[in-house]
Amino acid sequence: MTTTTPRISSHPARAFWAVLGIGTAIDITAGWLLRQPGYSPQARVLFALLPIPMNLVLVALIVRRIRQLDEFLRRVHLEAVAIAFLLSGVAVFIYGYLQQAQVVHPLNFGIVWIFMVVFYGIGYVIAARHYR
Amino acid sequence: MKTRLRVLRAEKEWTQAQLAEAVGVSRQAIIAIENGKYDPALPLAFKLARAFGKNVEEVFVWEDDSLQEK
Repeated sequence: MTTTTPRISSHPARAFWAVLGIGTAIDITAGWLLRQPGYSPQARVLFALLPIPMNLVLVALIVRRIRQLDEFLRRVHLEAVAIAFLLSGVAVFIYGYLQQAQVVHPLNFGIVWIFMVVFYGIGYVIAARHYR
Repeated sequence: MKTRLRVLRAEKEWTQAQLAEAVGVSRQAIIAIENGKYDPALPLAFKLARAFGKNVEEVFVWEDDSLQEK
């Protein structure tokens, strides 16, 4: 029996970070273009939709990576996603009420994903600890 | 479900990482199975049993009495 420890190949990870980097650059560029005056409504729609292709590539890479995981890690990630989904729902629900109470600014949907990532991290820790 | 995985692995003097690599899963999966926190699906249960040259029933023991014949 070999003695090497199984590990995640760095090649898919490099592709992920490369796509994430390019996607982030496109997001920032799109945001910057949308803040510039003088563009037609059609051009502004085009700028707003610019991030879609790279974001879809990112989604495809993540789904492919999840499918490569073993059954145990898939379960942990599935539970993390479920927890993140529910926590995001609760957070949006509460924020909506706070908005009705006029104690917070209208929700900026551009930052919702940050909370989803944070909730996913929390969900992953909870799920991983459960099976430890 | 109870498992004899840790005992069998110790008898063979394999590390968790070595067993994980032999059956193509992560070390975390082996840890969770050994600790009784996770029940593997049938294909993985068969792979683990085969890794020790055993039948599934010799590695995993089902403990639910409700399914026993009266």
